[in-house]
Amino acid sequence: MALSRRMLLASAGSVAMTAGLTTACGTNNLDDLLVKAERPPKGPVTIRWWAGKIPARDGGDMRPAIIRAFRRTHPNIRIEIVKGLSTTDGNRVGLTTQIGGGSATPDVYLGDITWPAQFGANYLALPVESLVPKNFWDPYPRALMQASSLKGKVYAFPCYSDAAYLFYRKDLLAKHGLPVPKSWEELERSARRIQRAGDADYGFVWQGSVSESLTCVVTEFLADAGGSVLDRSGRVAVADEPAQRAVSYLRGLVDAGVTPSAVTTYAEQDAMDAFAGGRAVFLRNWAYAWGMSDADGASKVAGKVGVVPRPGFEGRPHSGYACLGGWSNFINPNSENLGAAVAFARFCAEEESQMMLLRQAGVLPAMDTVLDSPAAARTGDPTITTTRRLRLVSRPVQTPYYPQVSKAVYTQVNSAIGGSEPVGGALRAARSDITAALEGKAL
Amino acid sequence: MSTTSTTSTTTGGARGAAARTAKDTRTAGRTAPRGSTERRLARAGWLYASPALTLVAAVTIFPILFSVVLSFSEVHLSYGGFRIDGFTTDNYAALAHSSAWFQSLAFTVGFTLVTVALELALGTAAALVLERLGAARGWILAVLLLPWAMINVVAAQLWGYLYNGTYGVVSWAIEALGGGEPVILGRPVPAMAAMAVADIWKTTPFVAIIVLAGLMQIPKDVYEAAEIDGSGPWTTFWRVTLPQLRPILAIAVLFRTLQAFGVFDLPFVLTQGGPGTATQSLAILGYKTLFQNLSIGPGAAVATSTAVLVLGCCLLFLRAFRAQVDEGGR
Amino acid sequence: MRTRATRGWRAYVNVVNIGALIIVVLTTAPLYWMATASFKGTGEISASPPTLFPEHATTGNYADAFGGNSLGRYLFNSALVSVVSTVVVLALAFFAGYALARLPMRGRGPIMVSLLMISVFPAIAVVTPLYLLERSAGMLNSYQGLIIPYIAFNLPFSIWILRNYLLGVPRALEEAATVDGASPLRTVVSVILPLARPGLFTAGVFTFTATWAEFLMALTLNSEDAFRTVPVGMALFTSQYTVPYGTIFAGAMVATVPIAILVLVFRRSVISGMTSGAVKG
Repeated sequence: MALSRRMLLASAGSVAMTAGLTTACGTNNLDDLLVKAERPPKGPVTIRWWAGKIPARDGGDMRPAIIRAFRRTHPNIRIEIVKGLSTTDGNRVGLTTQIGGGSATPDVYLGDITWPAQFGANYLALPVESLVPKNFWDPYPRALMQASSLKGKVYAFPCYSDAAYLFYRKDLLAKHGLPVPKSWEELERSARRIQRAGDADYGFVWQGSVSESLTCVVTEFLADAGGSVLDRSGRVAVADEPAQRAVSYLRGLVDAGVTPSAVTTYAEQDAMDAFAGGRAVFLRNWAYAWGMSDADGASKVAGKVGVVPRPGFEGRPHSGYACLGGWSNFINPNSENLGAAVAFARFCAEEESQMMLLRQAGVLPAMDTVLDSPAAARTGDPTITTTRRLRLVSRPVQTPYYPQVSKAVYTQVNSAIGGSEPVGGALRAARSDITAALEGKAL
Repeated sequence: MSTTSTTSTTTGGARGAAARTAKDTRTAGRTAPRGSTERRLARAGWLYASPALTLVAAVTIFPILFSVVLSFSEVHLSYGGFRIDGFTTDNYAALAHSSAWFQSLAFTVGFTLVTVALELALGTAAALVLERLGAARGWILAVLLLPWAMINVVAAQLWGYLYNGTYGVVSWAIEALGGGEPVILGRPVPAMAAMAVADIWKTTPFVAIIVLAGLMQIPKDVYEAAEIDGSGPWTTFWRVTLPQLRPILAIAVLFRTLQAFGVFDLPFVLTQGGPGTATQSLAILGYKTLFQNLSIGPGAAVATSTAVLVLGCCLLFLRAFRAQVDEGGR
Repeated sequence: MRTRATRGWRAYVNVVNIGALIIVVLTTAPLYWMATASFKGTGEISASPPTLFPEHATTGNYADAFGGNSLGRYLFNSALVSVVSTVVVLALAFFAGYALARLPMRGRGPIMVSLLMISVFPAIAVVTPLYLLERSAGMLNSYQGLIIPYIAFNLPFSIWILRNYLLGVPRALEEAATVDGASPLRTVVSVILPLARPGLFTAGVFTFTATWAEFLMALTLNSEDAFRTVPVGMALFTSQYTVPYGTIFAGAMVATVPIAILVLVFRRSVISGMTSGAVKG
C-alpha cells in the first residue's frame, strides 16, 4: 500500500515535470531569431565553439590561430573552444542531446557536411542564407552548397572540405612499365599483373564496411557509371543500370582477388594500413592519406606514392568524380549571442581564414577562389593542386532522412560485396529501403 | 538435504542455510509474533532502505517515465527543445512493421542466450578454481578482473585490432593454421561468433566474481557432510554446491541477461551492425533511430519495448528459478 | 619414495592449478597483445605478420596519450567520480539490501522488481531526459552531476546482490546477537557487515568498474573538458579517419592499472570473508 501510493505520487510528479520541461521550451519564433542574428553584439560577449581538432600540417591545431585572427577584427567577442570529439558519431550524440534539449551552448558547432538538411529540419541549426548577401556563396563549390541546403534554406557556413583521390604506388607501376590507369578496367588489369608478379598482396583497397564511407564509395562509382542514388526529380535510381554496373564492378574486384575479401570490414584506417604497409598497389582515400602515406616512419611507402583524381569507367565521358566531404559551422538556434555566433561562423568561411587553412592546415579549404590562388600552387601538395580538377559529387543529403537513406545504401551494398546477396537483389532491396526512408517510414 | 525450521540454531541451521532461505523468509513475516515487534522491525526496514530507494526513485523515475511518454507521443523538435504533440501508438506500429526491428530482436536474443549460457558455465568453473586456490587467489582475481575493468569501447577496439582482416593476430593465426584468408568480421556467422568470444572474455569475470562470493558463503560442514556420505566431487557439485548457489546464480543470470540484451559497444566498434544488418543489436538500432535519425518517438519505442521484453523474460526466469523475489511481505 | 614423488608432483599439477593456468592464459593473451602494441611504433603496430615482441620498443604512444591530451586530468576526474559513487552505493545498498532480505516490510517483491526494471532500461533512452533534468537543476558540468546518476543507476544491482547474498547468511547469527542484548543497528553493523564482506566486495568492484567505464552519460552530461572522464577522453584520441591503436592502448594500460591495484588492495576482504563465514557458520 505504502509503496504503491509513493509510486503513484512519484509518477504523477514525473508526468508533471515532463509536461513542464517540454512546454517551457519551444516558444521561439524563427523571425525573432533572425533579427537577433543580424545584430552584431555591442558589449563584450563570450561564445562557445564546439569543434574537434583542425589539424595543422606541422601536427598542431588550427583552432587557436583562427580564433586569434577573428579577435583582431572582433575584439569584443571571446571564443571558448569546447573540445568536440573528432568522430562524426560522437559529436552527433553530444550535440543533438544538448541542442535538442534546448541548451544555449555551444553557440557555434563544427559539424559534418551531411548534417545541414537533417539538423535544419529538426531545428538544431539556424538557417543563415538571409543573413549574408546572395553572392556570398559564389566562391564555394556547387556540391557544397547543395549539401548545406534544404528547400532553399542554407543551414551551415562552410569551414573546410575534403575529397576522395586515387593513391598509387609509383615504384610498382614503373617497375612493370605501366601508366597511371585512365579507367577502372585498366586499373584492375594493372593491379592483377602486379599481384601475379608477387609485388603486392592486394591490388586495390577502399572502404567497404557498414558505414558512411561505403556510401561515399558507392556515390562516386555511381557517378562514374552515369548514375546516382536519387535522380534529379528525386526518384530512387539506385537499382538502375548504372548502379548495376558500379556495384558489379566492386563485387568483381573482390571476386577477382584484386580487392581482399576483408574489404567488407574496411574503414579508412584499415585501407590506409594495408596501403601504408606496402601491401596494396592502389588506394581510394581522402586527402589526409597524402600526408600519412608520405610520412617517414609511419609509412613503408614514403616517397613512392602518387595521387591523382579517380579514373572513370571505359566508355563514359568523364572521370575524376570525388565524393565531397568536410565540416561546416552551424549556429545553435538557442544561442543567446546569435549575432556573435554568426559573425564567427561567417569568418571561418571567408577568405582570411580559408587562406590560413590553405597555408597551414592539413585539410582542404572550402573556398574555390582560395584553391585557385597562386598560393595554392605554391603549397606543392598534390591534393590541393588537383582539387579544382575534381568533379565533386554530393551524397543524397538533401533530405531530413539522409541517415536512413545512407544506411540503406551501405548495408545493402555491403551484403552485395560480401557475396551474401546478388548485386541485383541487394540493389532492389536498397531501392525499397530508400523509398521507405524518404517517406519517413524507416527505423 | 533437510529443511530445518526457522527456530533451529547454529550448526543445524547452517547445514541447510541456503536451501531453507526461501521458506525461512516467507515464514518470517507470518509466524513471528504479530504486533509491535513486527511493526518496529518493518519501520526499521523502511528506515534502512529509504535512503537508497528514495535516491533511486528521485533520479531514475523521471528519465524512464519520460522515455515511456515519448514512445507514446508524436515528438517533434522545435527551436528551443522537444515538443510533444499528442498521444499515438504509431511509434510501436512502426516497430511491428519493421523487419529491422525483428532482425535486431533475433540477433539480440540469440547473442544473449549463447553468451549468458557460456559465461555462466565458464564463470562457475573459474569460481570453483579460484575458491580452491590458496595464496594466489588474490592475484589471479586481479588478473581476471582486468578485462571486466576495461572501458567497453576500448575492449571492443582491442578485439577489433585482434580480428583485423589485414594484420590481426587472430586472422593471422587462422591463416597460419591453414584456414585460408579469413574474413572474421565480414561474414555473418563468424562475426557473431567473434563477438561472442569477445563478450565472454570481457564478462565471464563478472559471473566468476559473483559465484565466488556465493561459494565462500557455503559453510564448510556442508561439504564435510557430503564427504561422509561418500559423494564424489561431481555429485557434491550438483547435489550440494549448486543448490546452495541458487540465489547468487539467479542474480548472475539476471544481470548478465540485462547487460547482454543491451549489447552496444561490441557491434558498434567491431562491425557497426554489419555485415549487412547481421549484428545490429536492439541497442544499436535504438541508438541509430534516436541519435542518427533523430526519430525520437520511434527511438523511445525501441528502448521501451526492449526494456519490457527483457523485464518479462527476467520475471519468467525468476518464476521458473523460484528465486524468491516476491516472497514475504505479501 | 615413489609415492612421495607422486605426491610432490601432484601438489603442482592438479585440476585446480591447471584451471588457474588456463584462466590466466586466456585472460591475459589479448591483454598481452594490447600491452605490447602500446609499445610499438606506427608501422609495426599494423605489421603483417604481427610481431610477438615490439622490435623497436617506444614509449611514444604514452607520450601521445598524456601530451596534448589532458589524460591526467581525466584520470583524476574518473577516480574521484568512481570512488565517491562506489562508497555511497555500498553504504546505501548494504542497509537497503539488509532490510529487503530480512525485515518484514510490505511490498518487498514489488520493490525488487522495480529495481530490476530500472536496471533494464537502456542507457541511450534515459540520457536525454537525464540531461533535461540536470540542465533545469543546474547540475551540468559538475562532479555531482555525474556522481548522482551513477549512484542511482548502480544502486539497483548492488541492492540485489547484497540482498541475495544476505539471504544466505544464517539467520541464527543475528538472533544470537539479539539475545545477547545488542540493539538492531548494532547487530547489523557488528555481525552482518563483516559477514557481508564478499558481497560488498562484489558490489563494490562492479560499481567501481561500471562507473569507471561509463561513456554515454559522461559524454552528454559533462561537455566541459575540466569534468570529462577517461572513457570520453579516450574517445578524443580517435579522429574521423584514424584509429590510433597505439595511443588508445597506452591510455587503456594507464586506465586499467588503478582497477588492478584496487582489487589487490581489497582482495583480503574476500579471503577473510570466507574464513569468518566458515568459523562462525
